[in-house]
Amino acid sequence: MKRNMIFRRIRSALITLLLSSAAIFALMRFAPGDPIDFALGLGPGDMGVNMDMLNERKAELRKQYDLDENIFIQYVRWLKRVVRFDLGNSMRTKIPITEELGRRIPATLLLSFTALVIESVIGLLAGFYSALKAGKFQDGFIRILCVLLGSLPAFVISLAALFLFSVKLHWYDISSRAELHRLWLPAIVLGIIGSPQIIRMVRSEMLSELGKPYVSAIQSCGLPKRMVVYGAFRNALLPIITTLAMSFAHLIGGSVVIESIFNWPGLGNYAMSSILIHDYPAIQGYTLLTVASIIVINLIVETAYLLADPHVRRSESRSLKAAREVRTHEKKKVFN
Amino acid sequence: MKIRTGAARLCAFALALSLLASCSAKEYSSEKPENESKSVAELKSEKASQDNTKLVVAGSEIACGVDPTVYPAADYLLNMGAAEILFKVDADGIIKPSLAKQAVQLDDYTWKIELRPEAVFWSKAPVTAEAVISSLMRSKELDMKASPYLADMEFSVIDDYTIKVVTKSPNTDIKENLSYSQLVIHNTSAEYSYEDINSADYTGMYKISSFEPAMRMTFEKNENYWGKKPQIQTIVHEQIGDSDSRVMAAMSGQYHVVLDIDRASCKQIDESDVSHIVMVPGAQTMTIYLNTQNEALADYRVRQALAWGIDREELIMLGMEGLSEPVITWLGSNPAYKDIKNAFFTGYDPQKAEKLLDEAGWKLSDDQLRYKDGKQLKMLIRTFRNDKALGEAIQIQWRKLGVNASVKHGDYSLMSTAYENGDWEAAVEGWGAYGNVVGLLKTQYAPDGAANYGKYKDEKVDELLKNLAEAPNSESRHQAGVELSLYIAEKSPAIYICPRPQITAVSNKLEGFVPHFRQFENVVNADLRIGL
Repeated sequence: MKRNMIFRRIRSALITLLLSSAAIFALMRFAPGDPIDFALGLGPGDMGVNMDMLNERKAELRKQYDLDENIFIQYVRWLKRVVRFDLGNSMRTKIPITEELGRRIPATLLLSFTALVIESVIGLLAGFYSALKAGKFQDGFIRILCVLLGSLPAFVISLAALFLFSVKLHWYDISSRAELHRLWLPAIVLGIIGSPQIIRMVRSEMLSELGKPYVSAIQSCGLPKRMVVYGAFRNALLPIITTLAMSFAHLIGGSVVIESIFNWPGLGNYAMSSILIHDYPAIQGYTLLTVASIIVINLIVETAYLLADPHVRRSESRSLKAAREVRTHEKKKVFN
Repeated sequence: MKIRTGAARLCAFALALSLLASCSAKEYSSEKPENESKSVAELKSEKASQDNTKLVVAGSEIACGVDPTVYPAADYLLNMGAAEILFKVDADGIIKPSLAKQAVQLDDYTWKIELRPEAVFWSKAPVTAEAVISSLMRSKELDMKASPYLADMEFSVIDDYTIKVVTKSPNTDIKENLSYSQLVIHNTSAEYSYEDINSADYTGMYKISSFEPAMRMTFEKNENYWGKKPQIQTIVHEQIGDSDSRVMAAMSGQYHVVLDIDRASCKQIDESDVSHIVMVPGAQTMTIYLNTQNEALADYRVRQALAWGIDREELIMLGMEGLSEPVITWLGSNPAYKDIKNAFFTGYDPQKAEKLLDEAGWKLSDDQLRYKDGKQLKMLIRTFRNDKALGEAIQIQWRKLGVNASVKHGDYSLMSTAYENGDWEAAVEGWGAYGNVVGLLKTQYAPDGAANYGKYKDEKVDELLKNLAEAPNSESRHQAGVELSLYIAEKSPAIYICPRPQITAVSNKLEGFVPHFRQFENVVNADLRIGL
């Protein structure tokens, strides 16, 4: 039964990946502008080019990137290559996309993981404290802080941090390198931006646990308050861990603004520059990778839930059983 | 007890992480630090001397590779002093010998180029006539941008250091053509494929020492350089894509030169005590192209009215932060044609504009907009990149004339799509006005010219273009260029505003920086020095 459930999840993850890759592919093609013009560096300000050579080069590139075919054939061919882990070559640099992405993944993972740690530390501590002080001044203060951080756009916080630590205090180096001494500022900013969601989540989960009858029951048995709180915290952890895992998935693909502003040479920065020059294979490769990472992390979390929590298993098997019964009933009706 | 242990573990982890992040200056990547065993004092003095010998340049983009025939590589290699061309234009617009010693015109169709016997490639191979011709032929064959510049010329070897050039048209200015940045001289011997830095061989004062695409290119002083040796040992060219981050980079004092600075940030940088702004009007004319296929704009009186109704001074103030100066002709932003910066349109004259619109039948109605045969006079102005403010300033000025003007801002792909389907009346763009004048003006005004977006057709223009192409010498070519520019100004198939300002932030420590109207090719020179 467990194996069936996991298999079902993998199957639906693959369908999601296929559908999202088709959507990405189509959306790219609906965007105005000819990517070949961008690839050849054509734009305003050129004196002109050898038109015969230009047409020949354009035809060559269209053939190379299958742009002379209809969108369906383009998609099928792209999908065939993707299955072989070939995402094609960048239209601008001619370097294989897998190589380009591979070079940037460590920088993004490093930034995302550090940001996740910071986000978790802030989120857990502040959320926990806020729940313990619910309704008091400290809780209100943390709530205001969360609203403030949640409503400020990422680029505003990033630029303010860069101005303070780089221009005014000279503590932070601006460069294009992924060095550890350059990690702290984008990681802190990314962590702070993501923390309000975790704070609110931890607070509400903790308050929900602390309000359950079993807490009152064990409190009445004379168990120390610390033990009670610790027990409630452990019970509240499951949804929090899920949120953190999903947050990590979003951090991998979603730090485009932060990476661009701090010139951190990761996937987000690469995506931004590829979008500006309409580099189709690069954008497709990047989006596929981020979508796949979100789906995989989601799958891992769901599978872990399934294995760890008997309630989830039981409720799923019940719903499967109910669905089967409905189908059998409908079949009987047809035969009758 | 368990909570306390958990909290202690969490704190220890956070502490370890912050220590790791803040104290470590090592790269997580491949480069291993060489200075692990050095004392702090030694490291400090080493850093100070390195600061003095390393020039750090930032821009919105770096070279995409090392092959000069693949755009954009040659511009950036030229800019960083790694590659050279035979002739180069100086800051006053005068073309001077660079890698070539001189060019002598023998008759209407024949030239002789003398090379420098002392010039060598990075590999120490001599820059012979054969090597130069081979380089130019490679560019002609592979580079569609370079090809038109060489189409009119045939090269042959006279001796080791002399080239004979025969042109198809009489009196072609070969120095002008050979000063095009895509024509950098590179070694075409079989071992140089230009696929990576180890298979590239140029002649410049700096050699490429490392390259990470879309991130950084590093250059080291070429000890075999044939000319004046530079003082700075290392150059780092970094890509910073975000415009605000480039401003921060300039203000932080960590960069000596930051290119492509946004107009709105000039004051901020100038007020800082580490950098200053170098603003040069570029040889690129900001233009309002008009769609002459549009019924209203087919009438030259309407186009002239729109031109008279433009207050260039105000546009420059509102849309360009006051960082440029008006020009009336397209060639006016080319230093060689500075004498025709102002012609025909003597100034802002809204009364004249209104009179012309009345004459053309576009009468002002009660709603303060103009109509002809029940049709409203509408102008959709398309803008891209950072020209939105300029577009809005134009909109305000044309509204005052009774034109229902609106602005659509987007990326260039939206503009090119609009050009194709005719969904535009006016578009703001800037085209480079320096180079082969015949080619440049054909691009702008010939019926099939790439920049003749409005498909303007005029027999007189065709005749003037023909005269320009057949001009017997550079003086008469200049004269023909002036005549055509003045005629175009009067007919107004496009309205010219000002040169696009090139804004560069330069560190106060840097000495020897030369402002140039093609700054993107002229940052590095042998006299650059970093003061302490």
